[in-house]
Parts: sequence; structure tokens; C-alpha cells
Amino acid sequence: MIEFRVNGEVHALDADPARPLLEVLRDELGLRSVREGCGIGVCGACAILVDGRAISSCLTLAGQAEGMDILTVEGLSEEGALHPVQQAYLDRAAFQCAYCTPGFILATVALLKEAPSPDEATVRAHLAGNLCRCGSYRNILEAVRAAASG
Amino acid sequence: MLDAEARVRGAVRYAVDLELPDMLIAKVLRSSIPHGRIIRLDASEAETTPGVAAVLTAADFDQPGGPSLMYGANIPDQPVVARDRVNYVGEPVAVVAAQDNASAETALAAVRVEYEEETAVYDPLEASAKGAPALHADHPDNRFVHGKLRQGDVQAGFDAADELIEETFTSPLAQQASLEPHTAVAQWTDGMLNVWTGAQAPYTVRGVLAEIFGIPPEGVRIIVPNLGGGYGGKGHVRIEPLVAAVAWKATGRPVRLTLSRAEEFVTVTKHAAVITIKTGVKRDGTLTARQVTLYWGAGAYADASPGLIRASVPRSVGPYRIPAVRVDAYGIYTNLPPAAAYRGAMSSQCTWAYESHTDTIARRLGMDPLEFRRQNMLRSGEQYCTGETMHDVHFVECLEAAVEGLGWKEPLDRGAGPVRHGRGMAVMLKSSIARSKSECRLVLDTDGILTVYTSTVEMGQGAHTALAQIAAEAVALPLAHVRVVGPDTAITPYDATTSASRSTNMMGTAVLDAAGRLKDRLRQIAAPILEVEAEALSVERGEIFDDSEPESRMSYGEALERSGLDSIEVTGMHATQGGLDPETGQGVATPHWHQGAGACEVEVDIETGKVRVLRFHAASFAGRVVNPSLARLQNDGNVIFGMGPALLEEMVFDQGQLLNPNLSDYMLPSLSDAPEEMGSRLLESSAGEFHGIGEMTLPPVAPAIANAVFDAVGVRIRELPITAERVLRALKGGEGG
Repeated sequence: MIEFRVNGEVHALDADPARPLLEVLRDELGLRSVREGCGIGVCGACAILVDGRAISSCLTLAGQAEGMDILTVEGLSEEGALHPVQQAYLDRAAFQCAYCTPGFILATVALLKEAPSPDEATVRAHLAGNLCRCGSYRNILEAVRAAASG
Repeated sequence: MLDAEARVRGAVRYAVDLELPDMLIAKVLRSSIPHGRIIRLDASEAETTPGVAAVLTAADFDQPGGPSLMYGANIPDQPVVARDRVNYVGEPVAVVAAQDNASAETALAAVRVEYEEETAVYDPLEASAKGAPALHADHPDNRFVHGKLRQGDVQAGFDAADELIEETFTSPLAQQASLEPHTAVAQWTDGMLNVWTGAQAPYTVRGVLAEIFGIPPEGVRIIVPNLGGGYGGKGHVRIEPLVAAVAWKATGRPVRLTLSRAEEFVTVTKHAAVITIKTGVKRDGTLTARQVTLYWGAGAYADASPGLIRASVPRSVGPYRIPAVRVDAYGIYTNLPPAAAYRGAMSSQCTWAYESHTDTIARRLGMDPLEFRRQNMLRSGEQYCTGETMHDVHFVECLEAAVEGLGWKEPLDRGAGPVRHGRGMAVMLKSSIARSKSECRLVLDTDGILTVYTSTVEMGQGAHTALAQIAAEAVALPLAHVRVVGPDTAITPYDATTSASRSTNMMGTAVLDAAGRLKDRLRQIAAPILEVEAEALSVERGEIFDDSEPESRMSYGEALERSGLDSIEVTGMHATQGGLDPETGQGVATPHWHQGAGACEVEVDIETGKVRVLRFHAASFAGRVVNPSLARLQNDGNVIFGMGPALLEEMVFDQGQLLNPNLSDYMLPSLSDAPEEMGSRLLESSAGEFHGIGEMTLPPVAPAIANAVFDAVGVRIRELPITAERVLRALKGGEGG
């Protein structure tokens, strides 16, 4: 039995501890915003927040999630209202196919918690672990800037 | 975008999210050798593995009532799974459907295969040389297509030239690399095949599956959810035959196949290309003749290549006035994964060649690259080498917009010490599909809700949003009243494909056609109620009224209700005719020309060879912009995407084995690569026709960077990608243009 908290709710699952946490979140808990892109922790599409830090759920084993406090994009909005970072991505149209968007939003939330007014070099370095193949980077930078100043 | 909020909530659903009750998971056993015979294939142990529902091998095909093994929309040269031979590492040999991943993996490991290796060939030039091993008996020289263009007397043009310049450019295999991997779910119900798939050409998939299973096309239903990126890699037919065939064997249970990233790398690639371009030019900059010879490495099967390689012929010459042109484009089988469309299809490789070459010519003549291009670029009303007269072409304006954004006329700080700066530009022309068709259906209901039924695929480009906007404007309803449904071949009408930047143009025009009919119908049903002639009625802002009687008006819904109708349904269609003579390349290459340009500033570190793009300004011709925000994203996306194959991306093989089948060793552009300054310009014209903009600023990226590298450090790179190693080697070798 693995016990952890996801989006504020405690789950106790009888899952194989060797399964990737990504699979458990998607298949057992139905959290479809957590998406596999590369499977080796370099694209950021499966990012989740653990204690406020962005990690790759594809590289995390279910057993390691014991006791974790996990946040996904599904748990980001409060009472249905968009989180300011989500709102900034929406306002700046910072996505196309949007497969990478939840990962970018969570990585941005983590960044702004650490550095509320980051300079552009910091933003680029911090988000370099998230890939957007559609190439919406200019709008993503604008969204992060808007969220930081907002 | 229509569903923008769902996108930031992570609530958009893709094929990878599909779950059906009782669904099985498919896994594919793939060839471990590049070329050879299968001397033993034994799946008996796999079949008895617990949790396994079906194991598919070639033995299941070509039985009475069963599926056919061989398929291919152009040349039926590809087996669904290999029978007695394999032609590349990664080719499917068997497919397992099991209740979960673990049982499927166990079963795969239990399939026994023994191969006898044969000599393989990987390079398109080597594969087409005499004595090379043949992949397919009916193409002993491995050449399966030869596209030609003959215009004017090329030899006379070369004789009349003051300078003859010949260069060869290469471009390696690369990955479309959508972050969402290929996924398809198939289920057979009462002899009917249902497939949910992330595919760009649902009707092509339907047709090919119907042929494989010997059922009418209507017996196959293709449903396409949102795509997590396509870029050509989900075009044509990909994994659908595999999953449909194993589902056929699993009798009734749905089966899902999602590829791993490593499998993505052996499923579809960008064509490798070796392009030799020779140009005659007079000292005053007048071009006299051009000869282009293209060898396209297509991988082991023809796939979409015959059409793409023929299309590469007019795409290979460039938007220039050249009186005599000869093009020969060869499609070559190699023992590598099949190649297919790649955003900016074929034009990327062609523009890499002709725009690098354009700078070489200008430098040879001592002319400014902008002035040389201005002098030679085609204008509206001039004839292209296909013999067709070009309409609404704005190559000059596109290039000027790009270089203006960059500040070409401003002085450039060329840098000091090891870091040098340079600027470059490139312009491109691309044909769309000469002959194709798009249909749509519009349904207006009594609540005033308009539904657009379309087989155009939404893959992040915002096509559904653009179509909804076009429909809303044309039917005179608020955008919030418009829904878009599809693709679902059971309910959405025919469309050729969502590729070649054709959707806004082709499907958008079909929507306009349908909207016109819808307004006509509204006039007809309102006329007897309002007691005026239908022709006297206006249909605007959701209302039907008589201009001379402004009081007498009714909403669309009211008109329907008072006519006793639940809804009005109309269809719309847009089709283009055209095509090139296969022997001469003369005719009509495209309904309209795609036009784009780019200009950039780079820095080159002469100690490491590293190139960094500092600023990039891109311009495309949009005809009429439907959605400025989405249009800018297309221009930007092209630039970022194009920087990958320009600077980073190359599939590296050793004896047919891919050495970098992951996104760590095969790097995609990230935010740390994105230019510090990006500019996007979208040109419009009074003609107001929708032009595609999904690819136009991509092909100029690599040559603009290479031209900027030359400007910075005086070396001409002719192999992609422009890696630090290549630049450094060229600097050390003193190689100059």
C-alpha cells in the first residue's frame, strides 16, 4: 500500500511500487494532464509539483511517492478559478497543441515561488527542461513575465 | 483558440488518453537487423503467455476472408508485419495484444525470431549505385520514382553564362517528434472497424484500412481527437494497420497501441537528401540556367514518398526568374525507417540548398545578397519553370519585411575576440497540393447554433478555431454560436488531408461555399413569411430582413421554427484541379504559392564553432489573416521548429542501428535556444484569399543561419545540421565559399 496526497486528497493505493508514478497518476487516478513525452525526464511533459518543486513523474517510481504531497494542473485552480499562471498562459496564448502546457505551467509556478521576479535568463534556464515542439516560446516568455508582474 | 481554457487546465483529450472498456494493450516486436531474411518465426509460446489475447504475425494474412499483408497508398510495397524479409531496424515483425503492459512485454520476449543478415545500404547515393543490394525485387536499382522538370535549353543557358556555380548540400534523417506519441485504438464490431487515432489524414487511413481488410470504406470509421502535435509525422498511414490487424485477431475487444519514444524514432522520419544545384549567371546578376539533381533517401518503403518526391520538383528551383531549368528528383529505397512529410515538406531540404546557393552566387558576383535576390525574384504575372503564370506572389515583400525587421541596413557590430556576428537571409516558395478536395457540412438549428462538420484535424495549429471564425463571419453569427465537430468519417465529410498548409485555404473556402448556400436557404424560407422576394432579403448579424422594411425582420431560429424546420443542413466543397506532366514538369503545380522569408543575426564562437541565433525575423504571405494571434504562433513555431534541423537535429546511425533514439541524445530546441528577439510579419493582399501559413517561415531558417554564419566567419556549411563541430572543422580547414 502506497499512501500519498494528490491535489489535496489522500490516496492509499495498492500499486506496484516499481511502476512509474506517471502511470499511476494517469491510469489509477485519471489525471490526464500528466503526459508522457520522452520517458527519460528531459521534456517536462510529465512534470508534477512535489513540495513546490517540479519533478518528472516518468522518472519517479510509485514507491517513492510514499508520503509525498503532489500537485498537478487539475489541482492548481481553486474553486474552478484559473491560477494566475494558468490565466497568464491563457491571456498570452502561450500554447498550440498544448500537450506540454501543464508541465510548463507547473514549472512556472515552481519558478515564481522560488524567484517571484526572475530575469529573462533565469526564466530561460529554469524552463529549458520543458520542451514545446510547436515552438510557442516567445508567448511562453511573455506569459511568465505577465504572471511574475501580476 | 476555442478551447483555450481547457488547454491550460490540462483538460484537452488526445488519443493517448483514450480508454475503452475491456481494452487490450498492444506491443510490437521489431526487427533487430537492417536487412535480411526471417528464417524462423515462432510465436507459439507467446500465444500461451497469461493475459495474452492475440499474437499477430504475417501467417495471419492473405487467408480467405482475412486481411491482405501488403499495403501502400502509392506503391503497395509494405507488409503490415514482415513476412520473410526485414528491411530496417525497427520494422514490425509481430504484434501482441494483452490485458496489460507487463503481459504484453512478457509475450513479446517469448516470440522466437531468427534472421539471416544480408548486406544493407543506407545512403541514397550508394543505394542507387550499380551493384547495390536491392530492397525490392521490382526496383533493382532501388529507384522507385523519378520526378522531372524540363524548361528551356539548359545547356545553352550554361554556355551563355559568365559564371557556372555548382554545389552539393545534404540534409540528414530527422524526427517530426511530436511530444504526443503515435497512438491508435481499434475495435471490430459486427464486421465494422472503428479506429480512434491521432492522424492527419483520416480519409487516407480509412481507404488503406478498407483495402487491407477487403471491406467497403464505409465499413471503416476513423475518429480523430486533438493531436499533441503532428508536423507531418502523423500524416498518411502510420500505426493504424498494426492495431487494426491485431484487434481483428482479438475478435471484438478494443486494442490500444501507443508507441514509446524509441519506437517513434523508427516509425517515421524526415527524408534524407543529397541535392546538387548548378547555376549559370551573368556578371550583371542575370540567371541563365539551373540544373537541380535530388536524391531522396526514402527508407525501406515508398509510403507517402512518390507524391512528396514529385512535389519536390517544383519546390527545388526557388522563387527566381530562370529561363532554362532541368530537375531530376529520385526516390531511393534505403534500409532505414520510412520517410514521410516533415513540416515544410521537401521544401526545407530544397530551400536549404537553393538559398545557401543563392548567397554563394551573390558573393561570387560581389553583389549584396538582398540586391541579388531583389533583381531575380519572381513577381506576379511572371512565369515559373512549370510554365504556369504566378498570381498573387509577394516574395519581394516577404523578404523585405524580414530584413526590415532585422534592420539589414543598420550597421552590424561584427564582434571582437572569439565571438563574431553575422547576418543572413533566405526566401522560399512552396507548392501546396495541386489536385485535392475539401468538403464540409454546416447545420444551423433553431437555437441559432451553427455546427461545422469537418474532417480537418486540430493539431494545435488552431484550424478548428480559424474555421469557426470563417463560418461565424460568413453566416453572420457570433463566434460563441459556432461549434466544430470532427473528424469522424461516419459523420464528417471528405477532406484529403490536414497537411501542406492547406486547411485554412481549402476547408476555409469550402466553409465559405457552404455558408453562401446556408444564407440562400435562410432567404428562401424567410421570403414567404416576410412576404418578399428571397433576393430582396439581407442576412446579417443573425437576422433576416428586408432592407426597405427594417421593421420586418426575424432571427435565424425564428425563421426555422416558423417554417417548421428543426435545422437547416448544407454542404460546401472546394476542389482544385492541376498537376504536372510527369515527363516535363510542365503544368499547374499548386492552386497558390506558399511564400515565406527569414532574416537573422547569429554569433559564432570561432574557438568552439558554436552558433547561436540572436535575432530572427520571419515573414509569410497570408493572403488574409483569420486570427492574428494564431498566425503569429505559426510564424514563430516555424522558426523554432526550423532551428532544430538547422542546428541540432540529426538521426545518427551505425550499420542501420540508431544511436540516438531518445530526446536526450537527439535534442529539440528549448527555451535556451530560442532567439533573444523574434519578429513575425504576416502580409495580406487585396485579393483576400486565405493562404496557408503553417510552414512558410520554416524552410528559410537553416539557409538564413548558414548565410549568417558565412557572413560572420567566412565558411560555407553545406551539411545539416550546422553543428559546432562542422563549423569548427570548416574554420580549421580554411574552407570558404
